[in-house]
Amino acid sequence: MEKVLDRRHLGDWVERLGSYRVYAPVADGDLWHYEVVGDPGEMRLDHPNTVHSPKGMVFPQREVLFEFEHQKGASPVIDQVLPDPQPSVVFGVRPCDARALTLTDKVFADDFEDPYYRARRNRAAWVGLSCNAPPSPACFCSSVGGSPHSEDGLDILMTELADGYFVTTLTNRGEEIVGSAISLFEDPDREAERELERVHAESRRRMERTIDDLEATPARLREAFESTFWDDESRACIQCGICTYLCPACHCFDINDEVSSSSPLRGRRVRTWDSCQFADFTMHSSGHNPRPDKASRMRQRICHKFLYFVERHHVCQCTGCGRCVSECPVGVDILAVVNRVAGHAR
Amino acid sequence: MVDLREIRERARELLEKGRVGCVIGYRRDGADMTVTPAFVTRPEDAGTLAWDPGCVHNLAVYLDGKGPVAIVAKGCDSRAIVVLLQEKYIKREDVHILGVSCEGAGVLDRAKLRRRLGGKTPRKADFGDGDDFLITTDDDVIAIPAADVLAERCLECRTAFPAVHDDVFGDRVERTFRDPFHSVEAFESSSDEQRWTFWKRHMDRCIRCHACRSVCPMCFCEECVVDSINFAVTAETTAEHKAGRVKWIEKSPTASENFGYHLVRALHLAGRCVDCGECERVCPLDIPIRLLNRKLEKEALEAFGYEAGLDPDVAPLFSSFRDDDPGDFIS
Repeated sequence: MEKVLDRRHLGDWVERLGSYRVYAPVADGDLWHYEVVGDPGEMRLDHPNTVHSPKGMVFPQREVLFEFEHQKGASPVIDQVLPDPQPSVVFGVRPCDARALTLTDKVFADDFEDPYYRARRNRAAWVGLSCNAPPSPACFCSSVGGSPHSEDGLDILMTELADGYFVTTLTNRGEEIVGSAISLFEDPDREAERELERVHAESRRRMERTIDDLEATPARLREAFESTFWDDESRACIQCGICTYLCPACHCFDINDEVSSSSPLRGRRVRTWDSCQFADFTMHSSGHNPRPDKASRMRQRICHKFLYFVERHHVCQCTGCGRCVSECPVGVDILAVVNRVAGHAR
Repeated sequence: MVDLREIRERARELLEKGRVGCVIGYRRDGADMTVTPAFVTRPEDAGTLAWDPGCVHNLAVYLDGKGPVAIVAKGCDSRAIVVLLQEKYIKREDVHILGVSCEGAGVLDRAKLRRRLGGKTPRKADFGDGDDFLITTDDDVIAIPAADVLAERCLECRTAFPAVHDDVFGDRVERTFRDPFHSVEAFESSSDEQRWTFWKRHMDRCIRCHACRSVCPMCFCEECVVDSINFAVTAETTAEHKAGRVKWIEKSPTASENFGYHLVRALHLAGRCVDCGECERVCPLDIPIRLLNRKLEKEALEAFGYEAGLDPDVAPLFSSFRDDDPGDFIS
């Protein structure tokens, strides 16, 4: 359904979502984070890119998989720890971040269903906000199949108009969330519909950064696999994990057993984010590392997003949020690398 | 004034004569005043080198003992090179230092600039005459007093002039914005409880991307306690050896593990940190990492009269012993 919400009623809507935990972007100094909304009246939806995408709400940086205890002479006892979060509504989700959820779904909820991911994913509703202006100077969603008002992965899309929001529900859950406060909404008139079209068209024109030829990119990357191009491009890379840890679609993880020295047979198995940019990421126990240098590690990051994921899932695994670009300590720009790879076939 | 043409000309000459194989410097890259590290290997590319207030990086992180290379170094960067020389990580003959004076200014803090410009995108930053930076936006060129948008580390810089150099560009300009230990002294006046609350909050948000480690020229260990393989594994490493490894710090980004990481990092920099401030600049969560380093440098100065990065011929603090070293803090 399509509705219009007066700006003054945004807080009232949030207030009526009492049974849900409501998250929205909150400013903390120069940084924006998704946090539980305290006073609904203070909710603002004028945020730039948040430091983290909402990825961590479905795929947290640390997830306890199970607890274990082994007593001598007895079988080990294993207790699975499945998350049971309170149902939540996340406001102000940028379309690029919502599209990224559809990509992590392919990894964790498609062929194989990860119960930890699923438990969190099922409990959250995603209320998107169109980007009338780019929320980051580095972003490029329309180049990678998205748009500043993409509906992918969302339950509701809101677009800011002069006096309020145009609200489009996209799923049953979205209808429920609007339905629970239906008296606050009005039906859109012709004028509101025209304004929505105008705002959306204008937002598409504002995207400055473009990938030259997305269709041709996988073939170009395949051809450049052995090229010295990667040595040149990765020269400045310091091999930190910023690009992958802030990426809304990166999903690689490590699994470790955490025990204490006082009770080495009791502990928990945890899954944590891992980064293909770390030197030990593919280190074998033999000591052999198939990705021995930063050139091969950068190639992996770019090729995973623009070649391997495309081959496997027929969609590019970058949604153009721009975080890896704006936060890179040394200015590595994934879009520029992809544009430069043409012609580097070895 | 630093004349960029002179830097480019000298770089070209060094490459042309085969004195160095690479010049590590800066170049402008992208449409929003981004500056990135540049690795120039052909004389004809020397003209791409840049020098402007966006040259924030400490390029000493790229020195790996292979040479000879030339490197563009600000005052703080040159002090990092001195520490690497003191610790015999690099050889003096392998590095040609193109020292650049900050001439009483320094480099930009992007967040301060963003706040100052409101919604405008900075396209270009230049040093102005005197104490201003000239920022070009889509609409106009704005002169902003350097002190308003300088990086915090620059405001507390003790000498914005290269400590060692083979060539030097620009004049030595003495100026002090703040005492070098201004921020740490302000922090020291807070109560234990306030400090705990402060650090707990920051440690809770650290995501352990390890950018503060990766960007630090002093963090050159081949093995690091935070990596899941914390000693080098080779084909000869026995299973027993591997099984017996100690996992000092878990990968989980919990406050206790994050405290472990940051304290180990800070302590390994005691008497070595030159306050280039790169760790704090690169942190995506704005954790005030410099405070930890400054505290330890203050200790080194007060207890041992030692300042890191001033003289390549002085033994490093931790590998020297003097009969008059104080011992009263040992109980």
